[in-house]
Amino acid sequence: MDATPLLEVDGIKKAFGGVQAVDGAAFSVDEGTVTALIGPNGAGKSTVVGVIGGAIAPDEGRVSFRGEEITSLAPHRIARRGLIRTFQISREYPAMTVLENLMVSPSNQRGEKLANALFAHRSYRNQERQLAVKALDVLEDFGLYAMRDEYARNLSGGQKRLLELARSVMADPTMLILDEPMAGINPALISHIGEHILRLREAGITFLMVEHNLEVVERICDHVIVLAVGRTLAQGTMSELRANEAVVAAYLTGGIVDAGTAH
Amino acid sequence: MTGIIVGYIATLGVYFCIYNILSIGLNIQFGYAGILDFTVITFMAIGGYMAGVASLGPEQPGSQIFYILGLSLPWPVAMLIGATAAGLVGCAIGLIALRRLRSDYLAIVTLAAGSIIYGLVGNNTKIFDGFEGLVGVPQPLNGVLNLNPNSYSLFFLGFAAVIMVILWVAANRLRNSPLGRAMRATREDLEVAEAYGKNTYKLRMMAMVIGSIYVGIGGVLTIWYITALAPAGWGTSETFVVWAALIVGGVGSNGGAVIGSFLVAVVFNEATRFLPSISSNPSLIPEVRNICIGALVILTLRFRPQGVLPERKAKFPGLPERPFGEKATAVAEEV
Ligand SMILES: Nc1ncnc2c1ncn2[C@@H]1O[C@H](COP(=O)(O)OP(=O)(O)O)[C@@H](O)[C@H]1O
Ligand SMILES: [Mg+2]
Repeated sequence: MDATPLLEVDGIKKAFGGVQAVDGAAFSVDEGTVTALIGPNGAGKSTVVGVIGGAIAPDEGRVSFRGEEITSLAPHRIARRGLIRTFQISREYPAMTVLENLMVSPSNQRGEKLANALFAHRSYRNQERQLAVKALDVLEDFGLYAMRDEYARNLSGGQKRLLELARSVMADPTMLILDEPMAGINPALISHIGEHILRLREAGITFLMVEHNLEVVERICDHVIVLAVGRTLAQGTMSELRANEAVVAAYLTGGIVDAGTAH
Repeated sequence: MTGIIVGYIATLGVYFCIYNILSIGLNIQFGYAGILDFTVITFMAIGGYMAGVASLGPEQPGSQIFYILGLSLPWPVAMLIGATAAGLVGCAIGLIALRRLRSDYLAIVTLAAGSIIYGLVGNNTKIFDGFEGLVGVPQPLNGVLNLNPNSYSLFFLGFAAVIMVILWVAANRLRNSPLGRAMRATREDLEVAEAYGKNTYKLRMMAMVIGSIYVGIGGVLTIWYITALAPAGWGTSETFVVWAALIVGGVGSNGGAVIGSFLVAVVFNEATRFLPSISSNPSLIPEVRNICIGALVILTLRFRPQGVLPERKAKFPGLPERPFGEKATAVAEEV
């Protein structure tokens, strides 16, 4: 594997008023892996995701993607470099159709130029059709084809999670950061989404995924990063971490007993 | 008698065209891009005034009417100047208001900017003659055509209708394009659109400026038709009428903007202007009119919040139907 990691997070600090949400978190994600970011509630995971994606400006520290610093870039510039992040609560474009939700994702569409939009719809017609065909393929892969013309707000919670993934795939990312992609959905769909993630890894997408369900982490993640009170507590494979008492302690003090491995 | 009726109908028609342009402009800002513009009418005024001083001749000494420029320019150039000026003011307000993500901030900035411009134009008699306003603005082609007033009104109705149709077609092309889709994504969720690689600041600035240009052109037509414009004609209540037209017609839908401007701007607003006023209480009719429009908005929001003619679902014509649809359905239902 390549020597430089795909994503490097170095000494990130971020305080909200008096709350030190992130306090020096540092870790890296290797290309081709599905890496988990775990830690108790309030550990700063979502804040780290926000900092990586450019939505939250850190007080200190730096983030590099493909060896280039991206720390102070606007979120859309980071996204265009191939790093797409999702949000903890699924946030579809509610009053747009499922197909449209996907069609927004590709960058640099010809028809996004004002002159083409107003005076030359022929200039983007072919590209539009190709993108729509591709979007339908992606919807089919995710089992959402039948919902293509439905308003996204009418989907079920589970379907919205699938839509979020489908919409991200449509952006052709190098790396996807998912913030609790399986929160609040039924076990059947959890394993379904896990399969999608493994399938997409085979297709060349690297994942960083915030996840509470350790059973899922164990099954689909190659590497695990543990965050506690804003710092990186440990990194390694799941079995390495099981032997690490600090990790177990952090989880217990954080109030989260892992239900998945308990039974 | 027929002359009066023709003139009356032409006037309503012109107002319909103008309000239609204003509400489509607001639709581009708010319906497409979610920009809460609470000072629509300011762009109308800027467009009107600038076209006015571009087409008026130089100030007459001793006439006690003061204004800038006075260039006697031909109407297409004057219209261009009016539209550009409105676009520039839209851009300036956008520079202040669109950097932040919060929409309440945007609403407050637009309201404040509107009040400042109103105060500036009203109190400064040297720009557009203050609260007296501009009068005697030359009408396009009136000198060439030599028509009687009613025939000219009919001609102007055709003129305004052509401009309205051109703007309507352009607005629909924008709406149906990937650019319009990206704008709607910023309306739906600004932060998410940004996270998916959309330059949301640029997209919203485009919608802001294009919408301002539309409204500015509506202002140009206004000052040409009535040959005058004064601050009393563009108070906050006028902004309310444009918003009402858009909400009643259907936010996001240009067809809705047409129906809304017909109902609100023509039937309720303009038609009631021609009712005989009650001499003991001359402000009664305008008050009743505003109450009626307000009630119509409330009824719409309560019983048909999507408006009379709601935004349509996007269509992607010409895509092949898939044979595998059945399989895909099965999975979706299992979810
Ligand atoms: N925008 C914010 N304003 C104030 N406090 C915040 C904000 N975002 C997060 N926090 C606080 O920062 C800490 C870390 O939050 P978060 O990153 O969401 O944790 P996690 O995702 O690991 O549960 C929490 O104490 C949270 O209350
Ligand atoms: Mg979180």
